Amino acid sequence: MSERDLATRLHLPTLGVTAVIVAGWSLLSWRYGAYVLPSPLSVVRGVGEILLVGFGGAVVIALLTGLASFLSPRARSVVHDFLAVLNATSVFVWIVISIIWFGLSNWAPIFTTFMITLPVVASNIVEGVENVDRRLLEMGDVYRLSGREKFRAIVIPSTLPYLVAGMKVGFGLALKVSVVAEIFGVTSGIGYIMNYSREILATQMVFVWALVMILVMMVTDKLVFDSLSRRLARWR
Amino acid sequence: MAMKLQVVGVGKDYLIPVIERVSFSVEAGEFVCLLGPNGCGKTTLLRIIGGLEPATRGTVLLDDRPVVAGDAHSRKVGVVFQEDRLLPWMTLAENVALVLKPLGLPAAERRAIARRHLGLAGLAGFEDYYPGRTSGGMRQRAAIARALAIEPDVLLMDEPFGALDAQNRRIMQNEVRRIWKETRRTILFVTHSIEEAVAIGTTLIMMSARPSRLRETIRNDGRIERAKLIDDLNTMIMEEVERQQGGAPS
Repeated sequence: MSERDLATRLHLPTLGVTAVIVAGWSLLSWRYGAYVLPSPLSVVRGVGEILLVGFGGAVVIALLTGLASFLSPRARSVVHDFLAVLNATSVFVWIVISIIWFGLSNWAPIFTTFMITLPVVASNIVEGVENVDRRLLEMGDVYRLSGREKFRAIVIPSTLPYLVAGMKVGFGLALKVSVVAEIFGVTSGIGYIMNYSREILATQMVFVWALVMILVMMVTDKLVFDSLSRRLARWR
Repeated sequence: MAMKLQVVGVGKDYLIPVIERVSFSVEAGEFVCLLGPNGCGKTTLLRIIGGLEPATRGTVLLDDRPVVAGDAHSRKVGVVFQEDRLLPWMTLAENVALVLKPLGLPAAERRAIARRHLGLAGLAGFEDYYPGRTSGGMRQRAAIARALAIEPDVLLMDEPFGALDAQNRRIMQNEVRRIWKETRRTILFVTHSIEEAVAIGTTLIMMSARPSRLRETIRNDGRIERAKLIDDLNTMIMEEVERQQGGAPS
């Protein structure tokens, strides 16, 4: 199958359908008013902020823990212990804590998303750092590559696939968790709207939003992460 | 004549003593093959000489300066391992150019040197291939080109053709012999194949069974007939294998 063939098969029809859905959505929003169905733009802004700050922050911190665990074995064991605790903590714990700390602000779902995705992304990166081929590092020592050069030429390329895999799982989790977090306390966002739709017995809206979320997830998966991992695997 | 490499009373213990005490010297430009029964510590000795592992006793002198494991020696050592150890995400040329960076050469010069040495190893035209797209023999050639590109004072080779089939092995032996004649590098070559050692080495060093010592050093200058030399070495290695097995409870 050629590259072009693949693009046609996967992306273009999906993009077309997405465009139709967004158009229909805008129309419905205009017809029923923003209170029942906010416009796509405002939802994207809400979800986008949570994902950007919550998930993005988690990725940044995860990268730092990966760096620390590469530089020092002691830091690695500390990171391991903390990740084990974070992994074992329930979503609900973070939701309750975030409402106590941040109240009805947007920071509550952001914080919850951050705390839930951090261990997933960080565990992947740390595992990637641990799985760097010792024999390649020894080769670097033989040829006297500097620590920075070894990091750039050996550690980063061998860890990147783990990072992408971790981000892929983490992003899906972020999307799901942020919606759950929005049910409690917040007065905007998809989770809030779904809960509100349930209260006013607009069951069909619950399903519409569920579909929208599934679509968003699948599109980012195909467009962002699949093409990212394909680009990374160019040399395979 | 000054010795390029001196191994003085080097020994190594793990849980058991592996290398008891080994001493020998290598002149500049010699092609030394290290032979011995399996498990006698040939690879370990090579790693000690390359500064990849500390010795339990004894010292290694490279141009009269001691090799200390973990410290960068002032002389350059190239190592070809049993595996190619190329970075799979870099092309062959990038792999070779990478090890030239610590020498402080500008990028254009690094690229030119990399291409020249890949050409010397018979890889002209494959410079921009990723290792995964080439054969095992080509990857091992690239690893040799990488080791030669830094113009090493000593080139250490640890069974570099172990993973190749018989035909590729023969081709690579001729290539290494040719490269050695053209560059006159000092080479220390570990192998378990007597035929290989006799075919390419100028000096053959036979190690004994574990805990190993030096059993025999032979100049391979054609004065002994090749077939007889192979026979003698085979007899020696069988004696050592028996001794090693006799020492262990069966």
